[in-house]
Amino acid sequence: MSFKDTLESGKFVVTAEVGPPKGTDIATMKHDMEILKGKLDAVNVTDNQSAVMRICSLAVCKLALEHGLEPILQMTCRDRNRIALQSDLLGASVLGIRNVLCMTGDHVSAGDHKSARPVYDIESVQLLQVVNALNNGKDMAGNDMKGATSFFQGAVVTPESNPIEPQLMKFEKKVKAGANFFQTQAIYNIDNFKEFMKFARKFPVKIMAGLVVLKSAGMANFLNNFVPGIKVPQELIDEMKAAGKEKALDTGLNITARHIRQLKEEKICDGVHIMAIGMEDKVPIILERAGLL
Amino acid sequence: MIISKKKDRGKLLQTLDRYDSFYLIGCSECASLCGTGNDEALKEMAEDLKAKGKTVTGMIVPKTGCQTLGTKVELKKDKDALDKTDAIVVMSCGAGTQSAVEIYPDKAVYPSNDTMFLGNMTRFQMFDERCTLCGECVLDMTGGICPVTNCPKGLLNGPCGGTKDGNCEVSAEIKCAWVRIYERQKRLGELDKMTEILPPKDWSAKQAPHKLYTRGDAAEGDRKDKK
Ligand code: SF4
Ligand code: SF4
Repeated sequence: MSFKDTLESGKFVVTAEVGPPKGTDIATMKHDMEILKGKLDAVNVTDNQSAVMRICSLAVCKLALEHGLEPILQMTCRDRNRIALQSDLLGASVLGIRNVLCMTGDHVSAGDHKSARPVYDIESVQLLQVVNALNNGKDMAGNDMKGATSFFQGAVVTPESNPIEPQLMKFEKKVKAGANFFQTQAIYNIDNFKEFMKFARKFPVKIMAGLVVLKSAGMANFLNNFVPGIKVPQELIDEMKAAGKEKALDTGLNITARHIRQLKEEKICDGVHIMAIGMEDKVPIILERAGLL
Repeated sequence: MIISKKKDRGKLLQTLDRYDSFYLIGCSECASLCGTGNDEALKEMAEDLKAKGKTVTGMIVPKTGCQTLGTKVELKKDKDALDKTDAIVVMSCGAGTQSAVEIYPDKAVYPSNDTMFLGNMTRFQMFDERCTLCGECVLDMTGGICPVTNCPKGLLNGPCGGTKDGNCEVSAEIKCAWVRIYERQKRLGELDKMTEILPPKDWSAKQAPHKLYTRGDAAEGDRKDKK
């Protein structure tokens, strides 16, 4: 069943993230894809994540398809103008890519080419509208196209954003612009997330909770201090600390698995999106511990 | 106003080394407020050039350097000094520099400043960028705060996921433009504007080089409108 059908059927879905490497050696990534095959509903392929130059998302989505994984093409507006975005979307469509996640994209100042000229010709809300137009056989300028796309489009939201109101207003705009599903920025506090879901449930969209695996207490502190929109509660930091160096990663995997269990059992949201950041091969362990394999 | 800053003096003097005599042109408007084109700045430049063994044939701070016709009239008064000089150093913005190029098509003209942005002087010689001249103002929809300029991504439909405690992901020294817009619209009771999706910008409105004629019967509007 396709990712779209699974999500719409009401089944609890699981996606994970694959970050394309910098350089042409794709052995590790292929290995990860082999491991993930058959265990996920879809796999997100990041688009020059954190503005660090890597293999393009489109090419890796195609590789994912060849490896039997259903890809979600992450598309940011940072590096391409409206012509390039639409052209890549048409390219993705003819390659058999059916899902697209529309994002604005981290600013180039976060990445490894800081003197690059950021584009942002359009942004996430408008990109969602563009995908709608392409799905209806029209380009953004209103020209008729020969052959429409049929994308299932999603967007992102940051439930721990501070202040939250403008973020929620943008969420609403994304729904209005045609987002079918949302994958959230990493969440660690399930009670806070429930509050967000109370709001999100008012809209006819599917919500997948974003989960980033903690590798150490240090990483948790780093996330809190430097990554916007992520808040790791003190109890979890303490839990990671108590585990000690040796068992830290294992504890991190346990926490993620525990959160998945709770989100699923209490029917808090429609699925989860696991961001293992360099530990894609550990995703099956998490799923096993969460009782999903 | 147009904000300019002085180029690295050492490098500039190196560039100017191929000429022996110079005439200096400042500007009494923006460049004076920026301290890049006022009397004092011109005097300093003259001293630096003399220290390098150069001759300064004269100098002037015209009223408005980018007002080509007016500047031309002012420069006429100093014709002798200008005739004598090998090169002109313009100490205003890039527009003022190009006034001089137009007035003196056969003389070398050099800028002494880097032209930075259109901004406000918030305190003495402290400047903040406010408008990037997008050609299609949306301030009416954004509580009077420009997201095209104040948000490093120029987002038109609300904050990105990078807002951190009300600050921008690009720098903690910048307040997130969209948090500011939200707060202001809330104060004004205009939050409904934040629910309206703003369409993609028409960047052709910003396409350089612009021309605009608004004078009586010669009024033709923007070059783009002419098409
Ligand atoms: S919207 Fe455009 S014209 Fe208006 S202040 Fe911003 S950049 Fe300037
Ligand atoms: S944090 Fe705010 S100002 Fe900074 S890029 Fe995001 S939306 Fe723009």
